[in-house]
Amino acid sequence: MSLINTKNLGKTYFNEGVATNALHDVSFSIDEGKFVAIMGASGSGKSTLLHILGFLDRHTDGEYRFDGKTIDEHSEENIAHVRNKEMGFVFQTFNLLARTTVLENVKLPLLYSRVPESLWNERALSVIKSVGLSHRLDHESSQLSGGEKQRVAIARALINRPRIIFADEPTGNLDSKSGEMVMDTLQKLNQDGHTILLITHETYTAEHAERIIKIHDGEIISDDLVKNRRTTNHFIK
Amino acid sequence: MRIKYQFKTAVTGLFTHKSRSLLTILGIVIGIASIILIASTGESAEKLITNELGGLGAETIVVRPGKQPKGPSDFADTLLSDSLKDRELEALRKKSNVPNAVDISPEVLISGSALYQGQTFKPVILGFSAEFMEKAMQLRISDGDIFTEQDIRGKARVAIIGSRVKQELFGEENPIGKNIQIKDTKLRVIGVYQQRGQVVFFNADELVVIPYTTAQTYLSGVKHYMQIVVRAENAALVDRVVYDIKQTLRDLHNITDPDKDDFHVDTQKGIVDQVQTIIGVFTIFLSLVVAISLIVGGIGIMNIMLVSVSERTREIGLRKALGATDKNILSQFLLEAVLLTGVGGIIGVAIGSLLSVFATIAIGSYMSTSVAFAFPIIRSLIGITSSMLVGLVFGIYPARQASKKSPIEALRYE
Repeated sequence: MSLINTKNLGKTYFNEGVATNALHDVSFSIDEGKFVAIMGASGSGKSTLLHILGFLDRHTDGEYRFDGKTIDEHSEENIAHVRNKEMGFVFQTFNLLARTTVLENVKLPLLYSRVPESLWNERALSVIKSVGLSHRLDHESSQLSGGEKQRVAIARALINRPRIIFADEPTGNLDSKSGEMVMDTLQKLNQDGHTILLITHETYTAEHAERIIKIHDGEIISDDLVKNRRTTNHFIK
Repeated sequence: MRIKYQFKTAVTGLFTHKSRSLLTILGIVIGIASIILIASTGESAEKLITNELGGLGAETIVVRPGKQPKGPSDFADTLLSDSLKDRELEALRKKSNVPNAVDISPEVLISGSALYQGQTFKPVILGFSAEFMEKAMQLRISDGDIFTEQDIRGKARVAIIGSRVKQELFGEENPIGKNIQIKDTKLRVIGVYQQRGQVVFFNADELVVIPYTTAQTYLSGVKHYMQIVVRAENAALVDRVVYDIKQTLRDLHNITDPDKDDFHVDTQKGIVDQVQTIIGVFTIFLSLVVAISLIVGGIGIMNIMLVSVSERTREIGLRKALGATDKNILSQFLLEAVLLTGVGGIIGVAIGSLLSVFATIAIGSYMSTSVAFAFPIIRSLIGITSSMLVGLVFGIYPARQASKKSPIEALRYE
């Protein structure tokens, strides 16, 4: 059974009586352990798709199953639990809490989890180490570079050992060197067995994935494996 | 979400905007400080008055002319009525009429100034029994002696003066044996009272006490008394003595209907009850005013919490994306509001207590007596709890607004 499965998925926004079709007839599936990129230009509907896949928004047509279950089969409380336990999110704008240290930022999802508090520090230190930021533990988020901020966000996404990481334009606000580091981190996580779903508008970034689903005007226009996958691996040893 | 972290988050939230948080709780601080100030000064004043009245002795009974005043207009009756004269005094003194009365003295209050060798002072001039004064008010003599029953019967022109009167008229000179002049009458000073300060409604240091017969004959010119003060054998017999007094005076005045009484009898307990009732009503009224100020403070809290929710929309979206439930967000913002007002309450109690100490000292020095500061522990706790309740009530709406935000809308918010 695929981790992610969509069938004729659609999303229509209604704004002041005007209907806007953001997604139309989207069908694909992603198995556990894969690294898939969804690529499209601005306004193509890729972010809308990610929000639906991440249980942050609801679709209006078709069907979406995460681990075999639709969003309607979960209670509101359970949806929050799935987001907390099964999914990790990395955003383009990092979304770290200001005036809060790296350690506290990374621990944030644990606050809403059922993980015993005695394990929090150990887990946080381990994921922070895995993104190479052990030396920045007590720094506040405002004292970090863009690349470091995004790696804190990745550590935060990893803390509850999710089954999938949704990365929405994770390199969009970074210079090329920092962006490369972030992509290396994601690739390494994938090699360790994490499922990654990457949203990007850049072909170069998308080519770090093993499969690219291209979206245009809310519809899938291609779904291909990457022939020459980019790997640099100069950061994660 | 663990309460410890929720608390930490709330504290961080409030400390991020220190001055805003402080300004926000100002309304609550003022409200709670006012409650404490009113409550503790009210309590201190009540204690002071009841202690002072208690000092007069629970066995003291006062008979006044005119019917029992039920409103301000009835007091005129008391002032103008001449129903208490020598005849009534003699009737009350008869053991067969009021067997359980041990002391009886009428009281005559005179308005006027006292003169001595060009020095003038306006004292409280009281025609009374010096022995009774000593027993009932615990007013002791520091120099000289008190006048006796014989002096009263003989309408002796003698006076006992308070310490301030002595100071104003005689300075360092010994006043004993000297004559002071009130109106056209010369009165020989035979005693000086110890310094005492305020005793209920008058300042004992400003007294000039003379025999009531002397006051009637030489100073007031009227035959009736302002009041007759009676002392029962003991406090338990007060009701019995009151009954006997009423029966005696009704028989004397041929009154059959108690509603037509031309006199009324007050006991110290009754006066204490009245004072407590008045202070109680006053405290409730002021507390209501304060409650309104707390509501206004609460609206301020709601306003700022709404601003805070709006400012932190992205944070709310992030927390939801990371697994926070609506309930988590609701309780986080509610805790912030309760913490904010709770801190306001604590600061309010502290400021209110400090002001109360000053107020108590001020009352004490004005009344020339020491008043113990009564820290109202229960009211402080009620104050802090009610301020937290204000936070809870006025925090609900902003917290609900926060919890209902869609994670996507919140994350997109710029």
